[in-house]
Amino acid sequence: MSDTAYVQLLNLTAGAVLLCAVLVLWRRELAVIIRLFAAQGVALAALIAVLAWHEGSPELAVLAAGVAVLRAGVLPAVLRRALGTAREGTEPVREVRPVVNVAASLLAAALLTLLAFAVSRPIVELAPSPATQAVPIGMAVVLIGFFVLVTRRRAVSHLVGFLLMDNGITAVGFLTTAGIGLIVEVGVALDVLLALLVLQVLTGRMREAFGNTDLDELRELHD
Amino acid sequence: MTDSTTLGLVGGLLQAVVIVAGAPLLVGLMRQVRARMEGRVGAGIRQPWRDLRKQFRKEPITPRGTSEVFRAAPVAMVAITLVVAAIAPFVTAASPLPGVADLFVVVALLATGTVAIALAGIDTGTAFGGMGASRETTILALVEPTALVAIFALSVRAGSTNLSAIVDSTLAEPSAVLSPAALLAAAALVLVIVAETGRLPVDNPATHLELTMVHEAMVLEYAGPDLALIELGSAMRSAVYLGLLANLFVPWGIATEAGVLALLVGVVAFVVKVGVLGAALAAAEVFLAKVRLFRVPELLAGSFLLALLAVTASYVLA
Amino acid sequence: MTTLLALLPVLVPALCAVAHFAAGHRRGPAKAALPWLLVGSAAVLLGDAIVLAALVLTDGPVVAAGGLLRADALSVFMLVVIAAVALLSGLATPAHLAAERAAGRAGTRTAARYCALVQLFVASMAAAVLAADLGVLWVAVEGTTIVTAFLVGVHRSRAAVEAAWKYVVICSAGIALALLGLVLLHYAAHRAGTGAGLDWAALVLTAPTLDPGVTRLAVVLLIIGFGTKAGLAPLHAWLPDAHSQAPAPVSALMSGVLLSVAFYAVLRTKVIADLAVGPEFAQALLLASALASLAVAASLLIAQRDYKRMLAYSSIEHMGLLALGAAIGGPAAIAAVLLHVLGHGLVKSVLFVGAGRLLQIRGTSRIAEVRGLAADQPVLAGCLGAGVLALIGMPPFSIFASELGIARAGFAAGSAPLAWATAIALVLVLVIAAAMVNHTSRMLLGEPGPRPEPSGGTTLTRTASQLAASTGTALIGGLVLAAALGITAGPLAGLLDAATRTLTGGTP
Repeated sequence: MSDTAYVQLLNLTAGAVLLCAVLVLWRRELAVIIRLFAAQGVALAALIAVLAWHEGSPELAVLAAGVAVLRAGVLPAVLRRALGTAREGTEPVREVRPVVNVAASLLAAALLTLLAFAVSRPIVELAPSPATQAVPIGMAVVLIGFFVLVTRRRAVSHLVGFLLMDNGITAVGFLTTAGIGLIVEVGVALDVLLALLVLQVLTGRMREAFGNTDLDELRELHD
Repeated sequence: MTDSTTLGLVGGLLQAVVIVAGAPLLVGLMRQVRARMEGRVGAGIRQPWRDLRKQFRKEPITPRGTSEVFRAAPVAMVAITLVVAAIAPFVTAASPLPGVADLFVVVALLATGTVAIALAGIDTGTAFGGMGASRETTILALVEPTALVAIFALSVRAGSTNLSAIVDSTLAEPSAVLSPAALLAAAALVLVIVAETGRLPVDNPATHLELTMVHEAMVLEYAGPDLALIELGSAMRSAVYLGLLANLFVPWGIATEAGVLALLVGVVAFVVKVGVLGAALAAAEVFLAKVRLFRVPELLAGSFLLALLAVTASYVLA
Repeated sequence: MTTLLALLPVLVPALCAVAHFAAGHRRGPAKAALPWLLVGSAAVLLGDAIVLAALVLTDGPVVAAGGLLRADALSVFMLVVIAAVALLSGLATPAHLAAERAAGRAGTRTAARYCALVQLFVASMAAAVLAADLGVLWVAVEGTTIVTAFLVGVHRSRAAVEAAWKYVVICSAGIALALLGLVLLHYAAHRAGTGAGLDWAALVLTAPTLDPGVTRLAVVLLIIGFGTKAGLAPLHAWLPDAHSQAPAPVSALMSGVLLSVAFYAVLRTKVIADLAVGPEFAQALLLASALASLAVAASLLIAQRDYKRMLAYSSIEHMGLLALGAAIGGPAAIAAVLLHVLGHGLVKSVLFVGAGRLLQIRGTSRIAEVRGLAADQPVLAGCLGAGVLALIGMPPFSIFASELGIARAGFAAGSAPLAWATAIALVLVLVIAAAMVNHTSRMLLGEPGPRPEPSGGTTLTRTASQLAASTGTALIGGLVLAAALGITAGPLAGLLDAATRTLTGGTP
């Protein structure tokens, strides 16, 4: 693959990863948010595939396939199950009233992106290359995921926020050093999957105990 | 007289003529596309010209109690838009006033046109005029930063905010169009244009319900030649915005050297590009509903974010 | 042989977990004895830790499982803490489960699942302290979150679901930041070209070659991330909820060791940070976090109305003290920190077990609704009273010695900010001590009021309200151990010394 094509594909896939994160912030329908998350998984897998192609590394190609299966297939499916029972009930399937309204959160996302750019400067300066120059995008996705986690009120949105963070971290990992070792990588993926399953079960229990998954209801425990 | 200046003068004159003559046709085309997609026959693409002709023949009439602002605004808007139509790269990459063909200047000029109409709306002293003006300025205030930032993202690559330089750099390096920065900036600019030209989902150009009007509410009091000028000016603004969008991202076909053939190709390419964009915009409108005014800031915040991401991407990514 | 020794602490609890799962799905007489398996595996763990300690002290660090596991003095010390607290918690479990079953809150299946999860919990903590690779350490720490989620939410009440949700979401998000830190650290190591990867010992050897800019970023993320799991402010919000809702033996484990295991990760990070970017950087971070934690704990303890939450906030306080000690650095402070980890683990688990027993007897966790416990339950009241005195740093208990050590090191460090921070910390500790003594004395002393109905509807019989012998052993044993440690570190002195050297620039 020629160098310019590599850079262009790398930037396009990285840009798509960030765009999906931004759109998650923009849209309210939980089903759409899950679809966007799945799309981000595809973009992330494509990003890793581009890196694998460039470096001619079969191991990376396998990891790309793994990422695609996990993040574009399995995790969205679990999220849909967490949402699934909500559709039948009377519960709204939208993020009705986020803590920070959508316009303000979009502006916040803009600021977070700039922040990500600022904090990533040492990372880019250490070894400037097309891949490390895309690292701020991964950082921005992490920050946007954290923002979703903090400002959204529905259980499923929290799950997506957590997973956005994880996608961003994965992107940073692959863009900097092509992964942090197979064993750790698999362990991390397993942990994320298990944590998501645990949270999905808890979502079900929350629905049993509270009748819905609005996190505003969680105010039994306080001082 | 150098070659470039000749091209700039001839081309500038040519594109001003093309835009003045073509803008109402563009509006007609967009209405016709909508009508066909909604299952109506439509009035034909020349209908706006017929309307204009009728309006121009009428006796000028102004409401009692309005000042000179009300009378000057339509002329000012058309004049300002005409300047932009002459200097920006539409048919040729050269410009009659190269120093003025700057992105910031062009955006500021177009905004001045909007402000003129908004002032006229306030000047009438009616409830709807004031309401429309207040809404329009709100949207303008939200759109302007987005436009500037998106344009800035484009200028990073060219190293200059001169429109001709940006067009030339895209011509020299076609693959840059597919970079994340350019794509994000394009998406942001589309939203800006939708808001600035008063199309769905921000404003409904075909509405007859005063309470939902934005642009139309400001010009409710106009009649006769003044109304015709306003309509012409609005149509020219649409053409100018779409032309800018087209040439910033898909500049191919634009005349880079003086010559009858090159200029002819430039005109045809410009007309086709703007026509296709306008038709696409109109087709998209069929599927959209107007968003509530309270949701408009959300849309525009989104486009601002896209523009800012475009700037960031153009700096960060190689 | 050494490989087996290093693997046992992970394998034994994991195998026991399988046994519990199997027993839960089988009918027969064997299942009654199963809770004792917790004690068994903890005892094996303790024995293994002692053997490993002897081995490590004579021959240096033990590496096993293809370089994935590595036991140095610090890991072995942490293993001792885990084993000791697991033993105390295990001793209290059979009586706890029996009382829950009597109250109709748990069936055999639930009890078996509960035991299995506790075993997995212990296994993942052991894996965390034995991990050679920081990545494996991360995986194990996140693993503890996953297995304890259902332990926190075991009751399925609204409060329990809420606590479990907050626990998993906040801890997972926090620990995700730590993962990002690890990714960046790995990047710095990769660029340094020393091939250290994320192996802690190799990273320590090559730390001066790491890029300071990237490492600084990584250290911030690692300290915030693991600090979340250790209950350090500002991401401490999950801790009081989770610790107050979890069943008592689990609270004992979570408060007694899980926090320390996460803090152990912070300590390991700090060693690398000090070598790569200078000691001031991590010091400032830890100092800020320590003072914030102490302030949060003090402000919320003064008017605390729930005794389990009171203990939870006291855990935040003690984590703050650990952070203060780590910030001060130097052999004296680090030795005190490690002693504090052990002392706090023992005392806090005693208190949580006692509080859990109190909750079962009185059916309420409100301080105001418990009166005159001393007249009613002299042993339990005595243990709770002595435990609180130990917790606030009264001699002869070891927390007195370790707090004194941290304070002395703070003033002796010769830096004005450190001295000021230590002084502020001491004031906050005094405020906390006064608040805790006040709350506890109101619970223990005075006339016993009319006994309220325990929750669950059934009145406890006379035998059920008596303290089970095993629980009593755990309570008294833990306190005696803590007191003994306060007088002399005894056989642990060598290990403590070696562990301190691991963290303060001796050979890793």
